[in-house]
Amino acid sequence: MSSADAIAQAGKTAVLQNIHGTMAFLQKFPPFNQMDTAHLAYLVENCQLRFYGEGETIIKPTDGPVEHFYIVKQGRVHGERPHSARRGTETTFEITSGECFPLAALIGERATRTEHLAAEDTFCLLLNKPAFIKLFSLSNPLRDFALRGVSSLLDQVNQQVQMRAVETLGAQYSLDTRLGQLAMRTPISCSPDMPLRDAVKLMHEQQVGSIVIVDPKLKPLGIFTLRDLRRVVADGVDLAQPIDCLMTQSPFDLPPDASAFDAAMAMTERHIAHVCLVERGQLCGVISERDLFSLQRVDLVHLARTIRHAGRVETLAALRSDVRQLVDSMLAHGASSTQITQLITLLNDHTVSRVIELTLEDLGDPNIPFTWLVFGSEGRSEQTLHTDQDNGILFEAADAAEAAAIRSRLLPLAQEINQRLAQCGFTLCKGNIMAGNPELCLSRHEWSRRFSSFVQEATPENLLASSIYFDLRAVWGATKGCDHLREGLLQQVAGNSLFQRMLAENALRQRPPVGMFRDFVVARSGAEKDTLDLKVQGLTPFVDGARLLALAHGVNACNTLERLRALIQQGVIEAQDGAAYEEAYHYIQQARMQQHQLQARDGLPYSNRVDPDHLNHLDRRILRESFRQAQRLQSSLAQRYQL
Amino acid sequence: MSKFTWFTGQRPALTQAQLTRRQALAETSCLNDGPLNEQRLVVLDLETSGLNMRRDQVLSIGAVVIDQGAIDLGQQFECTLLREGHQASASTLIHGIAPSEIANGEEPAEALLSFMEFVGDSPLLAFHAEFDQRMLARALKQSLGYRLQHAFFDVAEIAPLVCPKAKLPHAGLDDWTQHFGLQVQQRHHASADALVTAELALILFSKARQQRLDNLPALLQQLNSRRRQRAHSM
Repeated sequence: MSSADAIAQAGKTAVLQNIHGTMAFLQKFPPFNQMDTAHLAYLVENCQLRFYGEGETIIKPTDGPVEHFYIVKQGRVHGERPHSARRGTETTFEITSGECFPLAALIGERATRTEHLAAEDTFCLLLNKPAFIKLFSLSNPLRDFALRGVSSLLDQVNQQVQMRAVETLGAQYSLDTRLGQLAMRTPISCSPDMPLRDAVKLMHEQQVGSIVIVDPKLKPLGIFTLRDLRRVVADGVDLAQPIDCLMTQSPFDLPPDASAFDAAMAMTERHIAHVCLVERGQLCGVISERDLFSLQRVDLVHLARTIRHAGRVETLAALRSDVRQLVDSMLAHGASSTQITQLITLLNDHTVSRVIELTLEDLGDPNIPFTWLVFGSEGRSEQTLHTDQDNGILFEAADAAEAAAIRSRLLPLAQEINQRLAQCGFTLCKGNIMAGNPELCLSRHEWSRRFSSFVQEATPENLLASSIYFDLRAVWGATKGCDHLREGLLQQVAGNSLFQRMLAENALRQRPPVGMFRDFVVARSGAEKDTLDLKVQGLTPFVDGARLLALAHGVNACNTLERLRALIQQGVIEAQDGAAYEEAYHYIQQARMQQHQLQARDGLPYSNRVDPDHLNHLDRRILRESFRQAQRLQSSLAQRYQL
Repeated sequence: MSKFTWFTGQRPALTQAQLTRRQALAETSCLNDGPLNEQRLVVLDLETSGLNMRRDQVLSIGAVVIDQGAIDLGQQFECTLLREGHQASASTLIHGIAPSEIANGEEPAEALLSFMEFVGDSPLLAFHAEFDQRMLARALKQSLGYRLQHAFFDVAEIAPLVCPKAKLPHAGLDDWTQHFGLQVQQRHHASADALVTAELALILFSKARQQRLDNLPALLQQLNSRRRQRAHSM
């Protein structure tokens, strides 16, 4: 061995002792425990170790864009920001040994929004930004960890961050990806007078499934796809015809800034397979179903189409397992819980509509216009795979006698629909909140009288009822009656501060299970020993709080996140608080869905109870922070309503 | 390979290349009076064959760098030295360096040259620095014919100066690491000891800053006056 080699060797082993020691320490924590050893060694070799005395600022908003990725080696770090209601600051989160910050700011290439202070004498490992970016592109576990939004929860940022991260740090498939990025090639287009034969030749040469017909200013006039070609060939059309006679007129378009998710939803709703990208009136790309779902086995658009056209209830029932598979694959692709609940709701709406139509065909249409209403989580568009029926029927009637007559004709139909929905996996409601119940098959006048009574006489039963019925939505039939009903409701609640106060008391009943000392409070005995309820203890405080504030401030929306956003817009809650609630709600919902997914796969009944000791370190920690946000929302309600 | 070596009296045998490298070693400059967190400091720990400063030998060198107020994990030095005829002794149980490891070690002149190149003109820091200073000086003289003139700071001396409330006037490294809740990855391994000494130094510098001892000359002056007081009171 030459002496130069020997030194290189000695240098290596010398580095190994302390580097190895630090790696061994990091390997106790996510995401480092999942990282490739070589990547982790690179990380440690590029770190500095810095000391911060108790009370010393580590980073603050005025420092400018964050230049380091910090890992707490020893000690505790507090995030502090100005208190929303009172003077001074409040601690919004705590970071301890093995945890890192500020991911969102680092990825978003901006300053932190929260001052990070050493809560006690603290050592941090600091990885410089170029090294972080390199690792971010090399290491999947690190990237997943960073993009999962752990820090955005802690930092209370919006989800824009993730989209920008994808741009700066290399493309990565996600449903948040900008469509402009997904449409790699220039779109294939032609003028309206091009003969069909030439257009198809062009499609064939370019190996594309669609061609967009544009005017001289590149404005899309129509689209012609392979599916259209099948149709015209079958019809024996003359191939010399100009294409504008055969194209689909005014194709649907989105701006290139819209997300992959927007395109997927549009395709699902409209049963189309191509979306034009249009910027300033000019065609700039085409996104196909395949561009979006090339990685997925079950395809969303196809599934929606199959549901909408199913000929028998049995087919609909069989399609439920496809829905589960789709949710599975979306979770795997990093879809957020909001995207998934939205999607499940959409597919469920299709299923409900189809069941109603099939039942009308089978039992005979009574020719009475009616609206199918849904309540509760279905009304809020927040359904998970675990779906109960909460529905009713609204119809128009001139007087009580006519209402009774219509009811008697609609009830058998409604009861059959309920049974068939149960067959499709929508569990029958234990409380009989179903359209087949005569008390829930009402004229608009009867419904509004019923809702008034909830607001006027605030008994415990009525408060409970209001928490179900006041989240309502029309799924099938004319929506106007439902809109009127909701408007009347908002007026009544806005003018009734006693009712609001009762709702607030109600919203404080479920306390988030966060103890005094940085940990969870779990059930102490019985079958549920050591577990906590994600839905009742975690989500309900957000749902109840958002409902109360929305009803009190005339907000039309029923979806909890939409309500929060509307409340921010009206200045009822602060943007930062709203964003934090949103993140927290989102995370708890995500945790719940992942749990349901596992239970479904193992053939276990769905349960919302989770044992925090069975969670990994990271999930446990995010969950704790999420519950802490629920606690903050409750204390702001307590303050607002002086409870 | 032709090596040009010669012997002159007490002087060690060095190759021409080694002589050139020795020549090129940085001159030590006087202490920089800039703030502590703008300094480059080398934190050193030696493992030796025993505690006799006249007879025992340096077996391994571990060093980390405090630069701009932080320990740079990318800049570290560790080396085990080749010692002919080294045998296991009582201290082998402490430092845990097996005789076979020593036999595979680096030739001392090479190792010490590399180390001094790593140090440059930076001041050195160690726990019970006098021991490391004297052991290193003797090794440098014997193996390289080089006179060590670098400034040394003793972390064991700085600690009670800036933390009088700890009431640990004559404490060892273990006492201080325990006092501050530090974790040592492998005690009595030169590198690991150097790292924990450096961590300790960062804590002490932070406290020194609060006491307006924010540069090396000021710190040295305080240490000297403390030494005089103690000599006086004895």
